[in-house]
Amino acid sequence: MSDFHPNAKGGFIENTLEGLHFAIERALYAEVSASRTGLLQRLDPRVKVAGLFAMVVSVALATKLWSIAAIFVLAVALVAVSSVPVRAVASRTWIGAFVFSGAIALPALFLTPGTPLYGLPITLQGVRTGSFLVMRAETAATLMLVLAYTTPWTHILKALRIFRVPVVFVVILGMTCRYILLMLDTAHQMFESRKSRTVNRMSPAENRRLAIASSGVLLHKTLQMSDEVYLAMQARGFHGEVYVLDDFAMQARDWFALAAFAALAAASILVGR
Amino acid sequence: MMLFEVERLTYRYEGVTAVDDLTLAIPEGSRVVLLGANGSGKSTLLRLLDGLIFGQSGSILFRGDDVSEEHMLDDEWALPFRRTVGMVFQNPDVQLFNPTVFDEVAFGPLQLRWPKDQIRERVDEILERLRISHLKNRIPQRLSGGEKKRVALASVLVLDPAVLLLDEPTAALDPRSQSEVIDLMVEWGGGSKSVITATHDLGDLEDIADRCYVLDSGRLVAEGTPAEILADTALLRRTNLIHAHRHQRGEEVHTHPRR
Amino acid sequence: MHIPDGYLSPATCAVAYAASVPFWRVALKRVKKAMNSRQVPLLSLFAALSFVIMMFNLPLPGGTTGHATGIGLATVVIGPWAAMLAVSVALVVQALFFGDGGVTAIGANCFNMAIAGALVAYLIYRLVAGRSPLASPRRVVAAGVAGYVAINFSALLAAVEFGIQPLLYKDAAGAPLYCPYPLSIAIPAMMIGHLTIAGLAELAVSAGVVAFLQRSDLSLLRATAGNVRESEEARPQGAPRSLRPLWLGLATLCVLTPLGILAAGSAWGEWMASDYANSAARHQITSASFNAAVPQHAPQGLARLSSVWTAPFARYAPPYIRGAAFGYLLSAMFGVGLIVAGFLVLGSFTRSAMRAGPDSA
Repeated sequence: MSDFHPNAKGGFIENTLEGLHFAIERALYAEVSASRTGLLQRLDPRVKVAGLFAMVVSVALATKLWSIAAIFVLAVALVAVSSVPVRAVASRTWIGAFVFSGAIALPALFLTPGTPLYGLPITLQGVRTGSFLVMRAETAATLMLVLAYTTPWTHILKALRIFRVPVVFVVILGMTCRYILLMLDTAHQMFESRKSRTVNRMSPAENRRLAIASSGVLLHKTLQMSDEVYLAMQARGFHGEVYVLDDFAMQARDWFALAAFAALAAASILVGR
Repeated sequence: MMLFEVERLTYRYEGVTAVDDLTLAIPEGSRVVLLGANGSGKSTLLRLLDGLIFGQSGSILFRGDDVSEEHMLDDEWALPFRRTVGMVFQNPDVQLFNPTVFDEVAFGPLQLRWPKDQIRERVDEILERLRISHLKNRIPQRLSGGEKKRVALASVLVLDPAVLLLDEPTAALDPRSQSEVIDLMVEWGGGSKSVITATHDLGDLEDIADRCYVLDSGRLVAEGTPAEILADTALLRRTNLIHAHRHQRGEEVHTHPRR
Repeated sequence: MHIPDGYLSPATCAVAYAASVPFWRVALKRVKKAMNSRQVPLLSLFAALSFVIMMFNLPLPGGTTGHATGIGLATVVIGPWAAMLAVSVALVVQALFFGDGGVTAIGANCFNMAIAGALVAYLIYRLVAGRSPLASPRRVVAAGVAGYVAINFSALLAAVEFGIQPLLYKDAAGAPLYCPYPLSIAIPAMMIGHLTIAGLAELAVSAGVVAFLQRSDLSLLRATAGNVRESEEARPQGAPRSLRPLWLGLATLCVLTPLGILAAGSAWGEWMASDYANSAARHQITSASFNAAVPQHAPQGLARLSSVWTAPFARYAPPYIRGAAFGYLLSAMFGVGLIVAGFLVLGSFTRSAMRAGPDSA
């Protein structure tokens, strides 16, 4: 996980529980935030998905550092108007992306061949390439953050159909997300109960065996539940094809936003090449 | 015409005979309880009645038509059947498989290809009726037991079925939710609608049923009105629906059946 | 090992997506045919399981911890096509909603981990398990090896994808635009971590859960078992006490091959035609051959052959790799892959011979 940092001193159970907790919390928080009223919340999800993905692609295509920086500034502006809780969440994303990509980019400063800088062992090319990595990571993360916090995840999934993703995958994705929460809760309960029965710290081997046993139990549950869910689906008329309902209707402001996104993406691609 | 006619039905799965040579008939417009302890075959029978699983021998007729695997493949017959007969599963996590409450309630109508406007209207209506409109965009995972049950009911009642099959509807619910579910069932049923409930709970038997069928090890061992069945304590004890409870107070010892 | 945004050029990402789509299509078609719409809940739930398994931080021998993807386990239980779809779904969810892995890199991540991983795991599992009974320890070992090899193959693919970036994509000043590490760094950097840590995690999960299933529900292993020797349905004996010999053997194999270079000069007999012309090489040949005189020119046959077939990894070290040791490591793994493929082909011949009649072969 790029922005979850396990406690090095904590044992396996603590770290895994924390990780699970973090994941659940994050999933829920995005859900709550996306239902607030803000500038971006009111836009058609398809516009946001298409527009923000186009921005991510233009970040990938950019060959000039300043054009990536410009998109980053824009993305931060979008964060500001989206009632995303800047302090807690956004800074966690920014710091996380910086630490993660920075760690990977660091050796490049020294290893990239090119012209040395100020007599230091780093090269100009190394600095540039490191900057590319970090900036692209930060900008992409920010854009996806905007999407996640302004759009209910179910809408994001349904909007994927503009990319010709088949309906069956949209349904599977939705069901997966719904059951991830169930699995996380179940796994959480299994670890909690084991933790409460443990007096001393468990050895690494015991921890590993717990993880494997939990995986086995979850696997059983997976297969058993999938049979039952299939029956429940059939009982309500499912017989092969799936259908989804989407409430999306483009309004004036959506067209305007779409045009704005398109113009920005085109501009950054043309200028940044 | 009978609603369901079960004729010598046998269902075996993984070496266990869940339903054993069962014969019974349920008339139209009835409120029926399939009474039995865990493992008695009542849940399996519900699934057989709903055409989700199929017996190895015997037959089930729904309003004179065969509920068989072949018949289920015929969309012209199967889809109206799915609309007419609705089933609420015991485990809400199985019943609620869609991302949000709205999607869940809309699933049935969507799969039956209702027009979109009609779907939206109907879903809002049923959410209102079950007093869960405020849960419209919530993930099923975060709801309380009672709320999940109401969503489950909504997801089935949205189709306005004539027949409702309920598998242990009050299981794992707190007392208030239980009584709410019972009230809903009582309010909804009656008249032309039929309700078939599988349960081991003797509590509200007289409220929810006109007729009881007692099942034990996949066989029908008794049938009668709730009053008749409740009076037959020997039967209830034999089929593990009650147990004798003994306590001692001072010098006095007395026993009584406890539900 | 999830590739984030910004490490692969858009062209690389596009190629990865283009490569993944046909596999997804075929997989969906096959799974639909096999499961008749039951795949909708099964893939969803299995994807959820894969997601949760990816979160477990597993303690490993040596004091480290690692993450598994569950691809080996998924392949053994639901088959490679369903497994590749389920793990792809989990990866998409991670990229879209949890920021784990880039959105542009979804194609690459799915191709490396889900698609290639599932196919490799399946091949290895079938190869190693053979026709052994469902409850035999050999299946546990097979699952473990399958998971180990699969994740390392995924890592190798990712490493190659990384490593070609600085060669192909640089800006005007010559700075790499995407991943700045060439193959000589990317491959060892990725492989060392996966051969040791992530590989072990995958091995532990694959082998461990299969052993668990052998005790709890044997029928779950039936789907990918092929023709099992019915007469030897052994009772589950539990997993081998320790899988240490297994990974030790694998690790040793991969790591010791560079030591082959340290052996004095070229291995006896593996001389190239050009060695004969080189005086230093000739001296080595002489001393290795008990001081027998070396012909002045390469034997005629050798000279003719060597020009016909120049092995792709001439001298085991592709020219663009700096550092012979790492080139050797890479070549060793390719060699292992070729050998495994060879056994597979051989195996299919013997299997069809066996199917032809119980009395033949």
